[in-house]
Amino acid sequence: MSTSLLVFLQRLLGSESETVAGPGYERRGAGWRRARPAPVQATSTIFLVLRRLRPPLIALILVYAIAVLGLTLVPGVDDQGRPWKMSFFQAFYFMTYTATSIGFGEIPYPFSNAQRMWVIVSIYLAVIGWAYTIATVLWMLRDRGFRQAIAVRRFAARVRALGEPFVLIAGVGRAGRRLARALDVLGWRVVAIDIAPERIDELALEPFHSDMPALAIDARDPENLLLAGLGSPSCHTVVALTGDDEANLAVVMTVALQRADVAVIARTESRLAAERMRAFGEPIVINPFDLHGDYLRVAIASPSAMQLIEWLTADPHATRPPLRTPPRGRWIVCGHGRFGSEVAADLRAEGLEVTTIDVAGSTTDDPTVITGSATETAVLANARPLDAVALVAATDNDTTNLSVIATARRFNPSLYIVARENQPSNAPLFRAIGVDFPMIPAHILLHEVLPRIVAPLLARFVAAIPGQGEAWAAALLVRLAKHCGDTVPLRWRMRLDTTDAPALARWLAAGRGLALGEITRVRGDADEELPAVPLLLMRGTEVILTPSADQALAPADEILFVGTAQGRRALAWLGESDEARDWALLGRHVPSGWIWRRFARTGS
Amino acid sequence: MNLEKVIFGFFVLLAASVNFGFVYGEIDNLAHHNEYELFAALVVSLVATMLKFGDRTQIGAVHLATSLVADLQLIAATVVWAYAAHVSAAGVTPQAMAGVVSLAIGALLANLVSVVMLVAETLSFQRR
Repeated sequence: MSTSLLVFLQRLLGSESETVAGPGYERRGAGWRRARPAPVQATSTIFLVLRRLRPPLIALILVYAIAVLGLTLVPGVDDQGRPWKMSFFQAFYFMTYTATSIGFGEIPYPFSNAQRMWVIVSIYLAVIGWAYTIATVLWMLRDRGFRQAIAVRRFAARVRALGEPFVLIAGVGRAGRRLARALDVLGWRVVAIDIAPERIDELALEPFHSDMPALAIDARDPENLLLAGLGSPSCHTVVALTGDDEANLAVVMTVALQRADVAVIARTESRLAAERMRAFGEPIVINPFDLHGDYLRVAIASPSAMQLIEWLTADPHATRPPLRTPPRGRWIVCGHGRFGSEVAADLRAEGLEVTTIDVAGSTTDDPTVITGSATETAVLANARPLDAVALVAATDNDTTNLSVIATARRFNPSLYIVARENQPSNAPLFRAIGVDFPMIPAHILLHEVLPRIVAPLLARFVAAIPGQGEAWAAALLVRLAKHCGDTVPLRWRMRLDTTDAPALARWLAAGRGLALGEITRVRGDADEELPAVPLLLMRGTEVILTPSADQALAPADEILFVGTAQGRRALAWLGESDEARDWALLGRHVPSGWIWRRFARTGS
Repeated sequence: MNLEKVIFGFFVLLAASVNFGFVYGEIDNLAHHNEYELFAALVVSLVATMLKFGDRTQIGAVHLATSLVADLQLIAATVVWAYAAHVSAAGVTPQAMAGVVSLAIGALLANLVSVVMLVAETLSFQRR
């Protein structure tokens, strides 16, 4: 229709679409940076259906009109033999049951031949009209564009309906899917988008606890991110895990510019992309290639610290990871691409001697690198595998990695094997050949991303683990193992304020002292600890690692606990109820009703 | 000249004029109101409604709304007439006729709004 009248009407009604974001508007202002509805949503299904059905419906109306009109005009005879014509009501009734092929017969009187002739015409017209309508509907349902429009609309409605905090995952490849699964188990809501429809289909087949809106759209388009709930106040974190650095950067950019208050975690495989991402606000940038080397360093320096990190950051269904003890000595790194060179650099930084092998004419011009295929016995022999302690198979080809491992084992069966696993389908082969330290990008991403979403304090704690030394980590492992066995501990945060732990907050506000050990011990047994281990205490900006039992608590302290569900329940109960608190801290029952409190006071 | 606009304008105007033709006359006089005219008004109005489907603009939405109002009133008028003629014992009395016609007058009002909007739209288009 006319656009000028539309503009006029908009002005009249004070539509705010264009006028608000004027030049005087502050860039950081909350108003216009907040969610603007994505235009894709405006394509409502009902309008699409109506638009498509317009011709068949008009045809149907006309067919009925012609048939009914004809029936009222054609002369007939009533039961007395007098001339008779149908009324509109009778004609419409007849057409209603005839055109829908119900067929009650000739009502109210047997038809004359003239009427029968017209009925023949009417029936054929009606059949054509209905066939046309039904065919249009079927064709519309098969239409890709229409189905996509419906899918987008449903997705948007489901995202809008999410009332609780959710995590938006862009890119549900291996790492993204595992993250979605872990978050789902931990009770988080997830919205997933991916450019590949087949990955979204795979996601739809998984048995998640809660409904997970997922749609195949391109994350690089800011409007698609808004459609996926970036503008929603419930949007908690955005995780960009696509395999494309450019797309991840686009996501970081969109979030920084549209919703600076939402945390964003992005994966990247190059330092350059990481730098570009860091130019936008404070994204958490994770480079799996870089991290593998770091993990290896941690494991060499302190195996217990490595085990502790892996255990605390594992997804909830995993079991306790094994203790990995990479030896000190000379290492051989096969493959000197982005991955291999990062690992080699980290090993050298740890003070180890490293021999690298890479195929000729590849990315490096480092003269110390032995050129040639590491799968060839002669080339590998140059690296002196007999007096080496460990081998890293770091190429981007699983077949090469497996064959390097097999070849190297023939030289020296006692080599410590570190292998980069590229394809998840090859995992059984790596398990069969016996890898001591697997490096799986999807795993490491999960270990890095999960704690940052579910327990930000845990991320701080994990970052501090390597600096604490082997003995400290080993002691903590023993303490955790006592409570959790081989399962992955629950991780939760308790804040001593009126919303999280009102009973304890009141206790502290009353000026009564409280030591950490008093709330974590089992009532009646001072030595017995609840299955809840305090890992970190945060007071303002001050951080205390593994606070001791006699650590005094203050209002608004934040404590990170790990332990079992039982420990979590016990602590939550202690924090919420005055009765439970008094029972635990004072060792006596304090009446909760006003009258009984009066009695108790006069009695004591 | 746009054929779609011609058809659209034709049906909107036809709906209003047929509707007017039906209601013109004494409100309770059977002889002044033709049943074929009411039938035509209803069919034309339904077709006009279909033509307005699927327009997502503000003005398109109002167009559709007026048409739906007209349809509703005309359907009510035909139902009243059919009831009076075939169900009620008294037949089509002047009272029943007055009811039918007054419903149709309501529909006429909605149709007139449609016509006014059509004219306003056309004029504002030409001014550009």
